[in-house]
Formats: sequence, structure tokens, C-alpha cells
Amino acid sequence: MGKKVGVFVCHCGTNISATVDVEKVAEEAKKKYPGVSYATTYKYMCSDPGQKLLRDKIKEEGLTGVVVAACSPKMHERTFRNAAVKTGLNPYQVEVSNIREQCSWVHQDKAVGTEKSIDLVRMMTEKTRKDTSLDAIKVPVTKRALVIGGGIAGIQAALDIADGGNEVILVEKDASIGGHMAQLSETFPTLDCSQCILTPRMVEVAQHENIKLYTWSQVESVGGYIGNFDVKIRKKARAVDLDLCTGCSSCWQVCPSKKIKSEFDTELGNRTAIYIPFPQAIPSKPVIDKEHCLLYRDARKKNIPPEDSKVCRKCYDVCPIAPVKAIDYAQEDEIVEVKVGAIVVATGYKELPNNVYGEYGKGKYQDVITGLQFERLASASGPTEGEIRRPSDGKEPEIIVFIQCVGSRDPAKGCSYCSKTCCMYTAKHAMLYKHKVHHGHAFVFYIDIRCAGKNYEEFSLRAIEEEGATYLRGRVSRIYKKGEKLIVLGADTLTGSQVEIEADMVVLASAMKAQDDAEVVARTLSIQYDKDRFFSELHPKLRPVESSNAGIFLAGACQGPKDIPETVAQASGAAAKVMALLSSDELEREPVVAKVDRLPPPVFSTCIGCFYCQRVCPYGAIEQEDIKARDGSVIKTVARVNEGLCQGCGLCAATCRSKSVELAGFSDEQVYAEINSVEFN
Amino acid sequence: MIEALRKKAEELLKNKTVSVVFGYGEGSTPERTRPVFITKPEEVNKLTWNKYCVYNLTTYLKRQETRKLGKPAIVVKGCDARTLIVLMKESQIKREDVYILGVSCDGVGDPLAEKCKACDVHTPRIYDDLIGEKGENKELPFDERYAELDEYENLSEKEKWEFWQKQFEKCIKCYACSNICPLCFCDRCIVEKNQPQWIDPSAHARGNLSWNVTRAYHLAGRCINCEECQRVCPVDIPLNLLNKKLAKEAEKNFNYRPGYNIDDELAMSTYNEKDNQDFVR
Amino acid sequence: MSNETTFEPRIVAFLCNWCTYAGADLAGTGRKQYQANVRIIKLPCTGGIDPLFLIKAFERGADGILVSGCHPGDCHYNSGNYHARRRWNVFKPLLEFCGINPDRIQFSWISAAEGGKWVETINSVIDAVRVLGPFEGYQKINAIGPEGPGEGFAPSSDTTGCECK
Repeated sequence: MGKKVGVFVCHCGTNISATVDVEKVAEEAKKKYPGVSYATTYKYMCSDPGQKLLRDKIKEEGLTGVVVAACSPKMHERTFRNAAVKTGLNPYQVEVSNIREQCSWVHQDKAVGTEKSIDLVRMMTEKTRKDTSLDAIKVPVTKRALVIGGGIAGIQAALDIADGGNEVILVEKDASIGGHMAQLSETFPTLDCSQCILTPRMVEVAQHENIKLYTWSQVESVGGYIGNFDVKIRKKARAVDLDLCTGCSSCWQVCPSKKIKSEFDTELGNRTAIYIPFPQAIPSKPVIDKEHCLLYRDARKKNIPPEDSKVCRKCYDVCPIAPVKAIDYAQEDEIVEVKVGAIVVATGYKELPNNVYGEYGKGKYQDVITGLQFERLASASGPTEGEIRRPSDGKEPEIIVFIQCVGSRDPAKGCSYCSKTCCMYTAKHAMLYKHKVHHGHAFVFYIDIRCAGKNYEEFSLRAIEEEGATYLRGRVSRIYKKGEKLIVLGADTLTGSQVEIEADMVVLASAMKAQDDAEVVARTLSIQYDKDRFFSELHPKLRPVESSNAGIFLAGACQGPKDIPETVAQASGAAAKVMALLSSDELEREPVVAKVDRLPPPVFSTCIGCFYCQRVCPYGAIEQEDIKARDGSVIKTVARVNEGLCQGCGLCAATCRSKSVELAGFSDEQVYAEINSVEFN
Repeated sequence: MIEALRKKAEELLKNKTVSVVFGYGEGSTPERTRPVFITKPEEVNKLTWNKYCVYNLTTYLKRQETRKLGKPAIVVKGCDARTLIVLMKESQIKREDVYILGVSCDGVGDPLAEKCKACDVHTPRIYDDLIGEKGENKELPFDERYAELDEYENLSEKEKWEFWQKQFEKCIKCYACSNICPLCFCDRCIVEKNQPQWIDPSAHARGNLSWNVTRAYHLAGRCINCEECQRVCPVDIPLNLLNKKLAKEAEKNFNYRPGYNIDDELAMSTYNEKDNQDFVR
Repeated sequence: MSNETTFEPRIVAFLCNWCTYAGADLAGTGRKQYQANVRIIKLPCTGGIDPLFLIKAFERGADGILVSGCHPGDCHYNSGNYHARRRWNVFKPLLEFCGINPDRIQFSWISAAEGGKWVETINSVIDAVRVLGPFEGYQKINAIGPEGPGEGFAPSSDTTGCECK
């Protein structure tokens, strides 16, 4: 018996019906397409009454296949499939024809849009007529999560998931967790001390019985799929045994290399070669910077193992741990393999360096610094212990010019977007400066002031009205050095005048950029990223914490610029998603998997066993199966798909010359029907 | 050489190393040879070797009838031996299941076959025994090996289309090309798949184009250009030109020659991150 | 149906679900207008696109074909697009050797974020094929097939044929 297909054409309010004659699409379907026994239109198919209509008609009309002509299947395929399930129809008998994103929104001419919609619906109808019922594949869930990145986003997500009773593995590439937030001085709009609110959370991470922390480590590879990811973590050799070390500080006190620019202090302060990044570091145990350490340099020069170098072993000698010292020069990278059910990506951002703009000195002027550098100057734990002193000569600056939108909203510098945090932190910087240097003067060049957020507007007004910062609307065209001063040339577009300010220091509100290795991370995780290399959420509104790869979630600035409260909220959101996922013992996977045909003897399978499929399969999902006679002798060796491993890419099916492998949901019959029904009007 | 071949065949059959020898026998006229399947040591005198031994006997490795004869020794020229390497890589034969009687060859056919004009495998690159002199195989330059294509590649787009349409029009879908091909070993050819019927099996221009293009494509990175398809084509379609074109592209883009180096990955089952993509937008 | 004066190219686009299909969706969400001469067929990965699909599309009367997937290194399935690229590297020259204009079979990498690139690419494919004109060669051979013209919609049968050999 032929299939009875129902076609439901959605108006989507007027989103579709304004430029597509939906009635005509439904009429044509009913009139002309074989197999279509029912066709109608409805204002909103995704609405409750719309879904009810779908369910009712499936029952009343005895439909065995459904085409919903509506928005992209990425929006509501699941919605309609779930609706169908309630009537007993197999969800894979339901297809979506994308007449909104592919017709009504991109073609203004109604006649054209209507014709194309008619085509698309016919193609999908033909595919649907070849749909087969598929059963979801059930897979067990590994009740453990991986969090990548130990900034505030990763910390929040890890703690939430761990508090929910699940094991968490937290991986941080630096020597300590804390991320950018640990570098900040005070935070807007409350001016509470960043470290004071962050470090207790860091300690919680360290002490949480459900959290396993890997610092100085990176995720090497991720295999598997939702519920069952196989992760390899590279623990970089730290030259310090974390189990033995007590963090007594003896080693970094004796280290003779004391003039290494501290990354944590944004190169405004120094550190030793064996070091902890900052006093509250977690773990509070050092790492050896092999680039600068005298011993490692000597070993590289002489091409000998580091433990054989005799140049400097002060840290080793002073280490009080006995009998085995905590310093281990011969330590090697270690690969740890873990299985997790879900992953949170919280890899953060990178600040645009201050050498990008030629007109701002291209990084040559020591006293032109970035926002993050100012944070370190203003921080009580910073290189100046919170005193605002300019880097060149340590003098207290009497005039500071703050420039907003440095990089941000400037497509020429590759950031067409707004970095969202700079208006607020610049207001904060001006305020902190005024608090510390009462007679000082702060000028702020801005393009727009964007302070949307709870108490944000009030905060920025306070900088202007109470703290006396002078806000100038306009861009700075050039900065040059004149004696000890920096001459800042800019425009005040409100008065229409040119402004020249003799400043002691300039602070650039530099853009938040994606991390340098964002693409590498994205590829490792098979997740999508946008044109600015920030990771893409699955839906900009409704699925803001899911990545394009099921079971992998996003938190914090790796997904786009955001401030601390937003980051924390998103991290908790991601954690909630992870916990929901880990709360079930089994997971249903889309049954879009490949299958090698099996036929009655004497053929058994049309597979001839050339195993190209096995070679091209990215997941090792193809196995060799011996088809045996009763006496145990092998008649034929053919391919077989391990459904548990198959991810449904279809590589095998396209590689098979005899087309003995097919992908469920995209079977030969289905694709053929779709291509075969292409007809242009 | 013939004596050496017969002696070796006799020995292999006598000591039961193999149960059959696939070789060339004399044909009905001196200019012809035919395949012979020797199962008894006393019949080895049927074996011959001369410049008329054009065929690629490895095609008998895929046939049920000849497979039934047991472990074979097979007489192969340098070109034919490349087929064996492909068959092994594609899991169709195991190395230990075939005894390779390589023959060194100065070219076959009268006039000399096209495939022999730019041959650089006079001595097989794989064998258990070599009959004849072991010559030095100096790899010929790329351009020389594919020179036959120049004439056709230089045609205009319209000329190409018309040339091939004229050729494909002749096709009667007898499938002699795929039957003779040692590498067309599918149990069910794609043209036989009727659910769905991707390729129209009837002999008319549309299905003929699809068939001939698909047949050639399925040999991409595999065909060793033995020219058997072209030789057996009853309507003289120059099928090997298509195969050769694909071989040229595979070698140019992937630096791969099928059946040449046994350790090379099969070109169409692997990739290189740096593969050519000049044509991709 | 097309004729000389109002030729509208017929393009079939085979798109990867994860990137270009989503990129085309993004173009829609952004209301970016483009020419309506394309019919999209969605597949999980370019690696799952058998060249047979492309031949079939020509048989069905396509004047041009676009195949588009994820940028190298970005494949959702790690290596699908690399394998696809290998096939294209031999299949496209084969068609050209048979006299098919290279503009009739085009390939692109378009990510989910590149709605703009989708619009540019599909418009330029359509424009290129418009310049070439109808694929008359193929239409001619289609027309002499036993079932009449290959163009025009031929519904598939409901019956289940046998798989015997």
C-alpha cells in the first residue's frame, strides 16, 4: 500500500505567507503530488493548536507520512516529530520543507517564492514517501563532565555540576585557575574586589571532592559522542611533582632568574623562572618556565637531558621535601585518558594587544597601556600594589586619557562587534583613578556609551557626574610623544572642535578577541565558530549554551564578549544542561546510522568486502564480519556497521561502489527520490 | 623463456604448491593466444609466452568458475602485476593465496599495444618467480606516460562533448568492459541496483553517459590501464582514455599510481590535508 | 520550461547540514535576497555525497550544480570534507574531459556563519550558468531516452521491487 502523506503549510504569521502563496502551495500538493492525501495551511504550525492540528489529522486521515512546510528543520523538525510520536506515527516519517529561510525570506517576488516553495514541498514529499520508520538508539551515559578552562566560567560550571553530585574534570592550560578575573582589580558596578570574590570559589574547586583539577594541561583530543566522549588530556611537564610539593615558596625565592616578564601582571611586573603566577594561585604550587630557566636553557644548548645540566639547581637544592624532592627536572608530559558524558567549553578570550594601531604608537610607547594592564596597576596585588604609576618612570600620572572602542566596532581591525564590557570598565577605571589620584584628571574618548545592565547606567553617570571624568565624544586620531608627555589628538564631535591633550598615560579599552587557538579547540571538539572565531551557540536565542555538537556546551567569553555576571549566568546555564544530561542513565541517539545490506543466501550481502568504507570511516565504526557456512568455513567477509560508534556522516555510503551501504534517514531511495523530483518551474 | 615457464608450472603443480596455473595458451591462429587453466603437470606444454599475450589474466581471480579450481599460480606481465597489488590492497586476494609467475615483457600486441608505448614496468614489481631477464624499471616521466591524452584534452569543450557523445551513443550496454575488468569485482554492479535505479540500464544516450562516467569513476585511483575494457568493447569505445584521464588526475593531485608501490594507501580511501582545492570557492 | 529569451538556470545545490545549509539559513534569517534558481538538497556531510547524485541531477535537467561543505579542518565528522575533496579532484576533471563546462559543476566551502558567502556564491553560480545557457547537450540526450524527456517530474513508484540478482 502506498503511503498517505499529509502536507501542512505554515504561514508563520506573515513570515511565510507575505511572500509565498501558502494556499496555492497546499492546493498544488493535494492536486498534483502522488501520495498526498491531505494538505492544509495553518497560521503557526509550531503553536499548540498547530501541533494539535497535525496530530488530529494524522489520526483522522490515517496519514503515514507528514511534510511540514515551514521554517528551517533546524528550528522545528524535532517539534513536529515529537508531535507525531504522540499519535503513534514514527518520528522519522515526518520531514520539514524549509520554505521560510529558503523562500519567503530570501525572495521578495511572491510568484517566484511560491513556485520555489511548490518545488521544495514536492521534493520533500517524494523523500517522505520513501521514509522508513527508525527507532532511536539507546546508549548509556557516562556520569562525568569535562570542563575546559579554569576562568570564572569554568569554575562556576565545575562547581555547579560538582555540587549536583557529578564528577567533574576541570582542565586549565595555565599553571593556576582563575583566568582573567583573577587579574582584575575591582569589578563594576559594585566595585567589590575581584580577587576577594573569586579566590574563595577557586579554593572551593581545589577542595571539592567531586572535582579533579588538571592545571598546566590541555585537551589533546576528543572522540566519541554525547554521553560517551573519549578525552585525552595532556598534562604538560611542570617539573614539579604536585603530590610532593607543599608550596612552601623556598624554590621561587632562590631562583636567580628574577627579571622574567610576568604574564599575570600583563608584563608590567616580573616573576622568577620557577614561579606561581600569583599569590592566591590554585594549586599554590610552582611550575618551571623552561623557556627562561637557566638549567633548561643550558640543557637545550648542550642538547643533554635537563637533569644532567649542572648550571643551576638552586630550586632543587633548596626544596625541603625528603627523601624525594618535589622538583623533578626529568618530568615528561603525561597523557591522561578519561571518559565523560558531557563537556563545557569555557576557554575565555584574549585581549587585543596594544600594538595594533599605528596611530596609537603601535605598542612603542610604554605609557600607552591596555585596559587589562590598567587593572593590574590598580590591583592591590599588582606590580605597584595598587598605586597608579605609569610604566615608563613610575611617576603618578596627573592626566590619563582613556580611549574606548579600541579594535571593537572597527572592521578594519577584524572586530566589527562591540566588546560590550569596555564602556563599563572604562568608567570604572576613571573612577578608580580618581579614588587613588584625587587631583588627577581623567578624559574618556567614546563613540557611544553602552551601559545596558542592572545599575550600569547609574554607574557610568557616577563616573561623569560625581567623579568628574571628562567624557569626549569622538575618536583619537593620533598619539605621539613629546618629552615626557603623550600628546593625544582627537575630535570632540559634540562641539565640533579638535582636542589636544597632554597626557601622562593613555589607557586603551582594547577589544575582547577569541583566543588565538580558538579554531584548534573548535576542531578538536567538532564545534562551529563564527566569523570572529567565537564558538557558535546552537540557536542565538533559544539554545544559547549548546554548541553545534550535541553534549558540548558553551560558557563565557569563548562564545562572545561578555562581563562577569553574564559569564557566570551562562556557566550555570551550561551546568544545568550538563546535569539534565547526566541525570539519565540512558540517552536516545538519532538513528541516523549506516547499514550494510544483508540478503538471503547465497548472496548474503552485496558487499564485496573491499573495505574502502572501513578505511574512510572517521569513527572506526566499520567492522569485518565473516559470513560462515554451517561447517564454520568462511563464505565471505563483509562489512558491518557498529551502530554504537557510527555518527551518520554517510562517508561509507558514498564510498561504496556497489551501494551496499546506506545511511538511515538519507537512504539511497530517499536521496534518489529527492533528486528525481527536482523540477524547475 | 617458455621452457622455464613450463618447468616452473610443472614443479608447482607437482609439489602441490598450487592446484592450477592461469596462463596463456596458443590460439586458433599464430597471432592469437587464449587463457588456459592447467591443473595437471602433464599439461604444462599448453603454456606459451609471446608478444600476443595481451590479456590481463588477473580477471580470472574474481570469477567463481576459476576460483573453484583452488589456489592458482598466475602468469603476469609487469602491468598485470599491478592489478594484483590493487586486489590485495582491496582485500580481494591474500598474498599467500596466489603464486605469482612474473614474466619480463618488452611489450605485447602487433602493432604494439598502446599500453606498452609508455611502459615502465617491464619487470613485474611483485612476483614469486620471475621468468625471463630481470630488467631495470626506470620510472618514465609523468608527461610521457599520459601523452596519449594530450590530443583529447586539447579539444574544445564542444568537441569533447561531441566526441564522447558519438562514442557513448554506440554503447549497447553489453557490460563486456566491466566483465573483463579485473577490478570490477562487485557482486552487484551499481547498474544492477534497481532500488533505486541510479543508472538507466537500457542502451540510450542518457543512461550511456551515466554508465560510462560512473564505470570510469569507480576505477579512479584503481585502474592500472591494462586496456582490457577497451580491447573487448564490441563497438570500439576508447574507454581507456577515461580511465587514463582519471589515473592522470589521481597521480597529479595525490601523487599516486595504483598498484605501483604496495605500501601506498589506496588513493580514494585516504586524503591529505593539503590536497588540491584550487577549484573550490 | 526555458527558452532562449528567458533562460533561467536550474541549479541543484547539495549542502552539508552542519555548515552551508546553516549558512543558507543564516542568509534567510538576515533577509539577504538572492536569485531563486536553486533547489537545495541537504545531506549530513559532503563526504556522504556520491558523484552519482550529481549525475542524477544533470539527468533531471539541472543546468548547474553546486556542492558545498565545511572549510577544511572544520568537518563535523573530522574528515568527511577531505574525502569529498579527493572525489571532486578526480570527478570534476572527468566531467570536463567529457565536455562538461567546469562552471556547471562547482564546489565551495561555506560555514554556518557565512550567510553572506552563501548569497555571493549561489548568485555567482547562477550568473555563470546563465552566461553558459541551458545545458542543451544533456537535455538533448535526455530527450532521446526511452521514457521521453528526462525533465519534468516523474513520481517514484510505491511498489517495492525485488532485490534479486
